[in-house]
Amino acid sequence: MTPEALYLSPTAQLPYCRGCGHSLVVRHLSHALESLALPPRSIVLTTDIGCVGLADALFPYLHTVHTTHGRSTAFATGMALADAVLEPQGLKPIVMIGDGGAMIGLLHLVHAAQLNVDITVLIHNNFMFGMTGGQHSALSPLNWITATTPGGNMTPPLDLLALLRTAHAGFLARQLATSRELATTLADAIHYPGFAAVEIVELCTAYGTRWNEAAGASLEGILERQGNTMGKLETETERPRFRDLYHRETASARPQRAKPTVPRLGTPTKLAEEVRLVIAGTAGERVQSAAALFCRSALAAGLYSTQKNDNPVTQGSGFSLSEICLSPKPIDYTGMESPDVVLAVSEDGWKELQANGTLAACGEETLLMVDAQIEAVMPKCHVIRLPLRREAKPKRAALAALAAWLERNPVLPAEAWEAVLALEPVERRAESAAALDIGRRLAKRSENA
Amino acid sequence: MLAEGALAAGCRFFAGYPITPASEIYEIMMRRLPEQGGLALSAPDEISSLCYCVGASLRGLKAMTATSGPGWSLMIETAQYALMTETPVVVALVQRLGPSTGGATQGAQGDVWLAEFSTSGGYTLPVFCPSNAAESFELAVHAFNWSERLRTPVLLLSDKEVGMTSEVVSDEALQVPGLVNRKMAAAEAEYAPYAAQEPERVPAFAAVGGATKATVTGSAHDMHGRLRKNSPQVIEVLTRLQRKIEAHAEEMAMVRPDLDPEAPCLLISYGVTARAARQAVSNLRRQGLRISFLQIQSLFPIPQRWLERAAAGVEAVFVAEENLTGQYRAAITPYLSGKRILGINRIGSLISPSEIVGAVEGVMA
Repeated sequence: MTPEALYLSPTAQLPYCRGCGHSLVVRHLSHALESLALPPRSIVLTTDIGCVGLADALFPYLHTVHTTHGRSTAFATGMALADAVLEPQGLKPIVMIGDGGAMIGLLHLVHAAQLNVDITVLIHNNFMFGMTGGQHSALSPLNWITATTPGGNMTPPLDLLALLRTAHAGFLARQLATSRELATTLADAIHYPGFAAVEIVELCTAYGTRWNEAAGASLEGILERQGNTMGKLETETERPRFRDLYHRETASARPQRAKPTVPRLGTPTKLAEEVRLVIAGTAGERVQSAAALFCRSALAAGLYSTQKNDNPVTQGSGFSLSEICLSPKPIDYTGMESPDVVLAVSEDGWKELQANGTLAACGEETLLMVDAQIEAVMPKCHVIRLPLRREAKPKRAALAALAAWLERNPVLPAEAWEAVLALEPVERRAESAAALDIGRRLAKRSENA
Repeated sequence: MLAEGALAAGCRFFAGYPITPASEIYEIMMRRLPEQGGLALSAPDEISSLCYCVGASLRGLKAMTATSGPGWSLMIETAQYALMTETPVVVALVQRLGPSTGGATQGAQGDVWLAEFSTSGGYTLPVFCPSNAAESFELAVHAFNWSERLRTPVLLLSDKEVGMTSEVVSDEALQVPGLVNRKMAAAEAEYAPYAAQEPERVPAFAAVGGATKATVTGSAHDMHGRLRKNSPQVIEVLTRLQRKIEAHAEEMAMVRPDLDPEAPCLLISYGVTARAARQAVSNLRRQGLRISFLQIQSLFPIPQRWLERAAAGVEAVFVAEENLTGQYRAAITPYLSGKRILGINRIGSLISPSEIVGAVEGVMA
């Protein structure tokens, strides 16, 4: 088999219109591959929608992937990343895309350039959508007549290569399909070990030349008026490849702290029946993290627990709330039909308990423990007011509230808290222990009062 | 746990884009996958996320992404591409309140239709739906297994309450199913990329970059991946895409039944609402009412035989789900002919056990 026969089939009937640049591109591409002597099975030709998408069938020995419109670059990026990082076999994806596809899939081009994945994109720019009937594209020149701009295109064309340069593309070039240098340019692009894009300018002979006074020779004039540089563009050539960066980053990544293993205590739990508890406070005041600590200590004590959090869409403002179920057996429903305990540690939390119906769902049996600063009419249930925010400070009020409740209802042994606190980062431990002490003290004081 | 299940299933590639309530999966995969020798990556949007995953799968790797309703809307084109090209890939769709950007931090089960009925041509997308952390783990493995075996995209339909609620999981209760890998094409064989034999009806896979030429196309194609018009072979391939799912429907069925052969009514639920339903059933039985319960984990293909078996002899079937329009109820109604079918629905908060008890008592008492 001649080297060329490995790529473009010599007997291939090219499916393009007479005079269409696409025919030249596939021939130049084949020459480029031949000059690089790349094994055909190391190449995947990834074609987009449009007349460019007819190219796969012309290369019988290459892997071919014919994709959805505009997404060819993204599929090729996935293949290239998987190959380069996980199964390195030197896969070379070559993308064939039109000007229409390049615009609908613009962010895929931008991201591939940013990542610097080893793919080569051939952007076939014939100034319009050919296969669908000659509609104008984002790359149509000004005043270009198309099926959808019969009076001439009014919007200035996008300079794709300039845009990709801002995305740090390492190899960018622009050539006419008729250029004798195209095969060399394509070979250079494919050889480049990173993201490469070549804009190939050509004319759609079905529509472009029919409606516009454009012949091959006038193309250069159009490009010059648009300020488009021809040939290889200056770029940042020294870009590291994604796979090298990824390996470096994952190798130097700070070792993750091993997941703390919650110890299981031998002490039998005192919980006979399920308890449902709601704690509500202000976002950023460690409500949900206090609840998590509480649930971990329940786990240490051999209980099942669920913690269902809620907060507004923002992360650090408004309320923060956790609904906790503790049970000696696996828990089904995780909601709060009628909570046994409600802890409100701030005004924000109180407002949310009103808004979400928790307070309305409290019965006479419900224990409502609220911060002393909350000034509101309390529902008819067992209310205890404690100066949590004042004594424990806002960021520890939630933990103090949980400790206060536990002091009155010792369903978890003190060792469970201790065991879980020992897993906290060192800088937090003393603070958390202090909050627990404050909570216990406040609970005792209220009992004595 | 869904992310851990994906890792246990052999997932080696993940691409994600932030969206509540699926961002946890994304963050866990970004941390855990490199530790396991895999690749996790931030994509610039959801379309790219799924395209990257499909690309990685074409290269031969197990891949997953995770999103919520708004992101899935953007991924549908690519999911159809995976279906058409028979590329295995798993999408975790963690539901939140819709429509549009809806309520990011509110749970819902409103994307059942959006998940299943999202293909042009009406093809069946397998959908698994966990109700808790342990099931999230197990069903993630099943999702990968079926995706690999049938070479098709598979959805894991979770929701905010299942995905973001912390809960204690007992190691002993965790089932780790055996792993399944796609059947590979024999190297250099006479290989037709879209030809498949009975009874599996799934073609062998040639990885891009491998020794056997891969021919992949999302356009209507024959057994050789050639674009053809008016070809009976194309219709055969398109028909097989659906038949391969149907042929495995019974094997794919996953339910947690709690049936009472004497019960006059059946309660059906799935996902987070199945938890309230299970509690409601126990409350109803304590009050002396006889009721059967069927939790469905494999929503699609619809586990028809299980439905028929569970509904045999009952007068009324209740379907509890956290959406307004009874999406799954509508999907299974054709399989429950002659029964009185009633929906228990709400949006905005969990359906509670007492709501279900009230609805059932209102009809049956």
